[in-house]
Amino acid sequence: MKIICSKDNLLLGVNTVQRAVATKNTMPILQGIRLRTEGSSLWFEATDLEIGIRCNIPMEVQEEGEVVLPAKLFSEFVRKLPDTDIILESIDNNVNIHYNKSNFVINGYDPEEFPEITEFTSADIIEIPATIFKKMIRQTIFACAVEETRPVFTGILVHVEKENISLVSTDSHRLAHSKAMISDNDKEFKGIIPSKTMQELLRLLDDNEILTVQYNSSKIIFKFGSCQILTRLIDGQFPSYKQVIPQSCNTKLLLNCKNFLDTVERASLLSKDNYLKINNVRFNIEDSILNVNQYSEMGKISEQIEIEQEGENVAISFNAKYVIDVLKIIDTENIIMEASGPYSPCVFRPENEEDYLYLLLPLRN
Amino acid sequence: MVGQLHQAITEVEENLSRLLNEVKSLRQYIEYLEDENINLKRQLCAVSEADINRIQKNASKIQKEAHENLEKLYEQGFHVCHIYFGEQMESNCLFCNAFLRKD
Ligand SMILES: [Zn+2]
Repeated sequence: MKIICSKDNLLLGVNTVQRAVATKNTMPILQGIRLRTEGSSLWFEATDLEIGIRCNIPMEVQEEGEVVLPAKLFSEFVRKLPDTDIILESIDNNVNIHYNKSNFVINGYDPEEFPEITEFTSADIIEIPATIFKKMIRQTIFACAVEETRPVFTGILVHVEKENISLVSTDSHRLAHSKAMISDNDKEFKGIIPSKTMQELLRLLDDNEILTVQYNSSKIIFKFGSCQILTRLIDGQFPSYKQVIPQSCNTKLLLNCKNFLDTVERASLLSKDNYLKINNVRFNIEDSILNVNQYSEMGKISEQIEIEQEGENVAISFNAKYVIDVLKIIDTENIIMEASGPYSPCVFRPENEEDYLYLLLPLRN
Repeated sequence: MVGQLHQAITEVEENLSRLLNEVKSLRQYIEYLEDENINLKRQLCAVSEADINRIQKNASKIQKEAHENLEKLYEQGFHVCHIYFGEQMESNCLFCNAFLRKD
């Protein structure tokens, strides 16, 4: 293999696929990035067998071939390269990188050992505008469980039914549900996609792109621009979430998002670093005033925010982080909060936006 | 000629008496079924309104106790939802909450 390219092109390729490189000590080959020529372009590929990312970048190919280089060393080296023409030339499994009048040799792996990130052919294709999908991911991904004995909670349920698409995530303490319309679709899909894959889509998708989704019963491929992300769907049944969503409420509030966020963040400063993992914040809602009175060994806070209130007064406690999470992703000026006493789940939704809701269970004091 | 007629009448007589016997045994069977039907109806009626109420009350008491036990279990920090049933719970659970609320 012999190619001539710029530092930027190498960096783009490496940055795109790097998060798919295996981080755990599995097979050593999975800690590598495969470079493989195709016509006058180079494929960058990495996989940890759960997720595979490929990206194709045009460059001058003088000799075809492929190599697998250790991702960590190669990416750190590429970052430190000067901005000049760079020649990559393979010698057996190793690569000689020429820049200016210098060169650097990286010992690679046997490319034969690298698992094929195989594309599959599927007649089932759904096209989704990137702006819609990215917004929906942003609105749900934070409610996924991080470490879980139930793998279904570590992913986002994606349900496409003709022109309706919905994304749902839960960690059993809260639940996020986002809906949207996609035009010209007659396909159906229901699957749980690992949050890591969704995080990569969020990172790599450009707003003006169209995302092409191809799937079968166990795998899914996302294609956009010069990238492809292939991932395994999470096995298992997502719990039926509709019965969890309350249909009525006793108290309905309208709050200014920014003021509310600032208050909760200030209050949570006092409960950080405490022995309990939970960062508790208590709201006393009384006659169109939201009161926060909190103290800890670190200090004391007392705040009042004017709000719009319908229905009864209520005192309710939440994990502050879970409230902050939703306030950070809502982009409307105001947020609606619907509560039914101190023990029932509370619904948060952006004002004038029917397509999103966030359900949060209060803490029992 | 007369002998033949005699013969025919005897045959008819025999046929009729066989039929009669069959009808008699059928009647006995019908009577038996009727008796059984009456017996069964009587048994059914023997379950009084009071009994029915008692049974229903008992069922709802058992249900209520079961629900209270599940609630107690939840209060003590164990999941009662079908996803994690019986496992120790960190803080709270939407699915347990929905399950206890629904009943
Ligand atoms: Zn539970």
